[in-house]
Amino acid sequence: MIRIKAPKPDLIGNIKLHIDALLTGVKEAVLPSTMTIHYPRERRKLPDNFRGYILFVPENCISCFQCSFVCPANAITMKKADNERNYPTIDYAKCIFCHFCVDTCPGNALQPTKIHDVAYKDMEEMLTQTEEMVKSPEIQREDTITVEYVIEDVDLLFRRIAEKDELVVKTPPHEKVREISSCIEPESCLACAICVGVCPNEAISIESSDVEKVIKIDSNNCTGCGLCVKECPVQILRLTRVSEDESEGE
Amino acid sequence: MVSDAMILSKEYFMGNMVNIPLIQPIVDYLLNVPFVGYIVAILLWKPMFALLFIPGLTALMIVLLFIIWFERKLTARIQWRVGPLEVSRPIGGIIQPMADGLRYFFQEVIVHRDSHRPYFLQFPILIFIPVLLPILFIPAGSIIAINTPYALPVIVAIVSLIPVFIIAIGWASNSRFAYIGSVREAFMYFAYEIPFIFAVLAMILVYGTADTTLIVERQTIPGIILNPVAALVFFIAMAMATSRLPFEIPEADQEIAFGPFVEYSGILFGLVMTIAYEKMYILSLLMTILFLGGGNGPAILLLGDLSGAIWLFIKTLVVMMVLAFLRSIYARLRLDQALRFGWTTMIEISLVALVIGVIINILGWYA
Repeated sequence: MIRIKAPKPDLIGNIKLHIDALLTGVKEAVLPSTMTIHYPRERRKLPDNFRGYILFVPENCISCFQCSFVCPANAITMKKADNERNYPTIDYAKCIFCHFCVDTCPGNALQPTKIHDVAYKDMEEMLTQTEEMVKSPEIQREDTITVEYVIEDVDLLFRRIAEKDELVVKTPPHEKVREISSCIEPESCLACAICVGVCPNEAISIESSDVEKVIKIDSNNCTGCGLCVKECPVQILRLTRVSEDESEGE
Repeated sequence: MVSDAMILSKEYFMGNMVNIPLIQPIVDYLLNVPFVGYIVAILLWKPMFALLFIPGLTALMIVLLFIIWFERKLTARIQWRVGPLEVSRPIGGIIQPMADGLRYFFQEVIVHRDSHRPYFLQFPILIFIPVLLPILFIPAGSIIAINTPYALPVIVAIVSLIPVFIIAIGWASNSRFAYIGSVREAFMYFAYEIPFIFAVLAMILVYGTADTTLIVERQTIPGIILNPVAALVFFIAMAMATSRLPFEIPEADQEIAFGPFVEYSGILFGLVMTIAYEKMYILSLLMTILFLGGGNGPAILLLGDLSGAIWLFIKTLVVMMVLAFLRSIYARLRLDQALRFGWTTMIEISLVALVIGVIINILGWYA
């Protein structure tokens, strides 16, 4: 067993310790190393991949429901819009800001922002409809200074920059990859023909032979809207990426 | 001789009036106005001026509002926080104590069932007698309320009464924390009282008088240079007496939640909370008088008699700021540690201070 003896400084050592304490106090009183961010007037500089309020770009959405499937808090529900497509709504009362939905979105329809200070009047208002998700929420900004924590060598430094941090992240333009629906497990198909009925472009048809019925997807007509993927009762349809030259070759 | 008829007349007050050249034209005009002139003459009469303005009530109020804010702000600064700020942002939150005072004023005063109701309500107000009386004997330049050769013994005697009132407050509260706090206050009183009296006694020997006005006059060299040991003892005793850290043992927020004052709420808490600060003001004044040359300093011509008072005020504030500074760098001692320190080291040092005082007295420095 190791016993640690309490240090017993002698008189001179004691006085030295007292003077040390006093000098430290004086130093901090004159030049404090305060690291407080005066929040409404200053904002911390946040990284571009900050998980904040989620914006929605309807043009990129292919209604694939992936965001709704992946959401661990069940905050995203799809709502049918006027054009018969399904678009996500986010209930911020449930959202845990994990941004799995943003990560999983194949078309970059959901985009992250650095907005983290939105207030709601009641719980119902927190269910954000698709129309509200398109534009960023109205913020009254009092801040003129952005604060940054920088690590230099081993020291954590506190730096104030006299500029406003842009809260809406500019993501690089999304390179649209053409996707089409395809059947990944034809042997499991029930031939229920729901996909045939739901397809708006009549790209899916059923070929009947004596032995079996096989669905056939016309890759030229398929827009990759993903409605059949959602409706398939055995979930064997998937959206798969088609590279440009391959689709041209067909 | 002043005849009986002369006392209470305007001319009597005007004979011993504070002379401030800066506002003299206004005073001269006001003195000729029938009724207002009489009031102005009373207000500017030196004893009344000392009582009401400086070093009396007005200065005390300013000091209280300033030092509470300053203590919080300085501690926050040293501990990397921000401190009070939002109440008045452009001036750094300096009216925060006033805001707190307003809150205390409108809060309900709760007198709990087990307390001794009359004493519980009386003592926070009665304690102002020993807290404020010593101000009468403190000279601010030429402004003094009561000029007596026994000023220092009277001040020390009255200051020694304050712990008795605090113990009584704790007793009247009749709660376990207040009880522990009272006992601690009593122990601390024993710990610092003898070194404190020795330090004052050493200075009385150094100057050869107990008259505060004479002491200030004789301090061509500040007392802190003549007898630095006594100054050290006095300073530490002051930290103990006003329960500043590292000797914040009777109040100890984290352990016994403000000790003797734990049961108070509302305006009564506001009163008892300021007692330590008022005591600190009195003792800082005493330290300034004994060791820092009181109101001595370069005369400011425009202020006339007020010049000495201003110097006294500034020096007192500096002493109080140093005391407030202690809070942010020291941890709290245990009661037994503080007692051991008070009964061994402090008494030894104070005896050394006393010897130095005797030597200076025999050498006859003041003459």
